[in-house]
Amino acid sequence: MLVGAFAVAHTPQLLIRPETEDRDLVLRVHAAMGRVKRRLQELRPDAIAIVAGDHVEAFFLDAVPALAVYVGRECAGTFGPYRYRLDIHEPLARAVVEQGIERGFDLLYTQDAKLDYAFYVPLHFVMPEPARPIVPLHVNVYLPPQPTPARCHAWGAALGEILRARPERVALIASGGMSHFPGTDRYASPEFDYDRALLDLLRDGRGCDLARVTGEELDKRGNIELRTWITLLGAVGDVRAEVYCYEPSWHHGNAVVEWPLETA
Amino acid sequence: MSEGAHYRFPPSEAYPLNRCLYALKSDPAFIERFLADPVAATLEMGLTEGERADLRRMDRDALVARGAHPYLVFMAGLRLKIAAEPGALEYF
Repeated sequence: MLVGAFAVAHTPQLLIRPETEDRDLVLRVHAAMGRVKRRLQELRPDAIAIVAGDHVEAFFLDAVPALAVYVGRECAGTFGPYRYRLDIHEPLARAVVEQGIERGFDLLYTQDAKLDYAFYVPLHFVMPEPARPIVPLHVNVYLPPQPTPARCHAWGAALGEILRARPERVALIASGGMSHFPGTDRYASPEFDYDRALLDLLRDGRGCDLARVTGEELDKRGNIELRTWITLLGAVGDVRAEVYCYEPSWHHGNAVVEWPLETA
Repeated sequence: MSEGAHYRFPPSEAYPLNRCLYALKSDPAFIERFLADPVAATLEMGLTEGERADLRRMDRDALVARGAHPYLVFMAGLRLKIAAEPGALEYF
């Protein structure tokens, strides 16, 4: 059963703030993530499935999966002084990989890869109490050629069907976005107007339109990570988004969004 | 993806360079070795003299022109900067 759907920024400056990052802005994003945490408490999920793009941490050039599922007992990662160890909902993760493959998606699975900060920065702030087991779902965003937005959307649609047919209450989170260009000469000039137009589209319940954008467009707009959102949109369909916050910093469009789902 | 993209296919000739940047980003033991003896650490990674010179200066444009992944350059540089001058960081 799919009970909740959210998108949450994962900028590391939200977790470890350098002096160059506006503290009030960071706290406003924290407040929006706090709303997600409260919503997750209300929704009582048995598991949290989180779609994120690895920042060349779990997967280097020895193997570059387009789509991957972490299937194991737990997963771990580090960032600065932070040490994360999170339980995986193994039956659900295994069902996702088995049924995903049955449906024609050639998923890679791992029982050992490191967990990237794209997974644990959002969870650091939104994990309800007591902590729920997670299902980490990877979409390649940083190492071209990445999966096309249409493929991400199709995978999300299949994922949604798989999750809806399960007995567990599952909340789905897309990690990442919006516009930013780390490591390039565009770092200080993201495309905030593009983000705002996109959020309007999502508020109107036209998320499926995103399945038609091209990879080139996402790269040009600093939105390669939107593949995680597009995956989620495949799962939730044309539900109207509620934007909790959009906070553009000098280098990053930080958004926190919910797609309120009809649940019995 | 066009050649003008911000993030491009990593050419195989840049593999040692990208592997070195990956280690600087994600391997604390390698960062220690690099800080103690950058020449030995980068030779261990099989970098050319030109790559080593660009890395020493953390010359992003030159490294990216050699096929380094921009994100790896960015995070490797950040890790080295934090190691050199921890500065005021607020942990949440």
